[in-house]
Amino acid sequence: MTCSDVRRVLPEFLDGASEGAFPTDFETHVKSCPACSDLVSDLKLISSEARQLAATEEPAPRLWVRIAAELRAEGLIREPESPPTRPLLVPTSQPRRWSAWWLAPVAAALLAAGSYVVSHKPAPQVAKEQAPATPLTTPAPAPMTPAASPASVPTSAPALAPQQLAKKSAKASDVVASATAVEPEPSAEDQQFLSVVSTRAPSMRATYENQLKAVNAHIREVQAYLDRNPGDAEARQHLMDAYQQKALLYQIALDRIQ
Amino acid sequence: MTDPKQSTTEAEAIEQAKQGHEAAFEVLYHLHKRRVYSLCLRMVSNPAQAEDLAQEAFLQLFRKIGTFRGESAFSTWLHRMTVNVVLMQLRKKGLPVVSLEETLEAEDEAPRKEFGTKDQRLTGSVDRLQLQRAIDRLPPGYRTVFVLHDVEGFEHNEIAQIVGCSIGNSKSQLHKARLKLRDYLKFMRAEKAKTG
Repeated sequence: MTCSDVRRVLPEFLDGASEGAFPTDFETHVKSCPACSDLVSDLKLISSEARQLAATEEPAPRLWVRIAAELRAEGLIREPESPPTRPLLVPTSQPRRWSAWWLAPVAAALLAAGSYVVSHKPAPQVAKEQAPATPLTTPAPAPMTPAASPASVPTSAPALAPQQLAKKSAKASDVVASATAVEPEPSAEDQQFLSVVSTRAPSMRATYENQLKAVNAHIREVQAYLDRNPGDAEARQHLMDAYQQKALLYQIALDRIQ
Repeated sequence: MTDPKQSTTEAEAIEQAKQGHEAAFEVLYHLHKRRVYSLCLRMVSNPAQAEDLAQEAFLQLFRKIGTFRGESAFSTWLHRMTVNVVLMQLRKKGLPVVSLEETLEAEDEAPRKEFGTKDQRLTGSVDRLQLQRAIDRLPPGYRTVFVLHDVEGFEHNEIAQIVGCSIGNSKSQLHKARLKLRDYLKFMRAEKAKTG
């Protein structure tokens, strides 16, 4: 059997034709020919790696908001007269025991930190070590103002003054450090976020927790790739998208809790 | 393998969605959103378009959910619906779902470019982002068949039926798509090695 013969029957071989369906000299040739051996190995690898791509992408949280709005507009969602339970994260008429105002600045901070990370090369290790451990979980205790409402949370990086930049640098470094770890504990702001969801809509906690895990894992993955390929502009855009997704997750929760 | 607990939850959600319960729609959305969105993204390689297509797929699903009788798996039903939504969009835009000109190529192709003769094999692993980029570079017809078969797990006879081509055509395009991806991945590796 020649290389040309191997290439002719290769598609069937790769599609898993039963053993024995191939002439023995196929295997013999592949074993003895480095070029054919590499070809078979590579095509098997591509095929198996491609399978891992199914269901890896997380849509932006706004997608469900858009779908739900359309379902309502079309009258497909029928509001129950007296729902026995409140399975979704919907507003209640009971007095609010505490406010979730802090979600808006956290969402904004996430976007700012994300835009910093993607628009700058990763901070040198020395800078990370010297940076004060400013946690992301201490947003300024400002009241909920229209400017801080979810609708106005910026979708692009805000311009930062040098002092702000220094603060963001520390925050971004923290985010990057936590993002590169394997399955780290949820950050303090994520824990606080989930705590709010648990209290206000316990049945939705698992959903939001899974979404947070997914987006955090995506951030870690892209960040790790960027660490290896710091000049890759497309990967930086992926990272910015991931941070935007996380910020949107907070925004949507805020919309529903308020 | 489907988790029985999840199946029960899904079956209950389907029945509640038929009654118009928002919570049930949302449960179904969250169960399948990644699969649906990922499929759309792989097929069109554009996040904004993929989002629009995923929205359309879910809306079609929810509009027709009353007709779902459970003869096939819900995920199969949704999956097929999503593919149809995407293919309809590709056809509307005049993009080929099957690469006719490529299909007419002679089987004995010219010798392929080889990148890095000393290291011809992709060696054990392919970076997911690089693979995604390579898929994005495929001609639309090749990409459709590759995504449906190698990423999404459709069989050639299903692809032939969905796309409207012969089984042989589907097999041929899949093989050529894999060969092109190999070339792209090697090229990316060579470029990366050059830039250090």
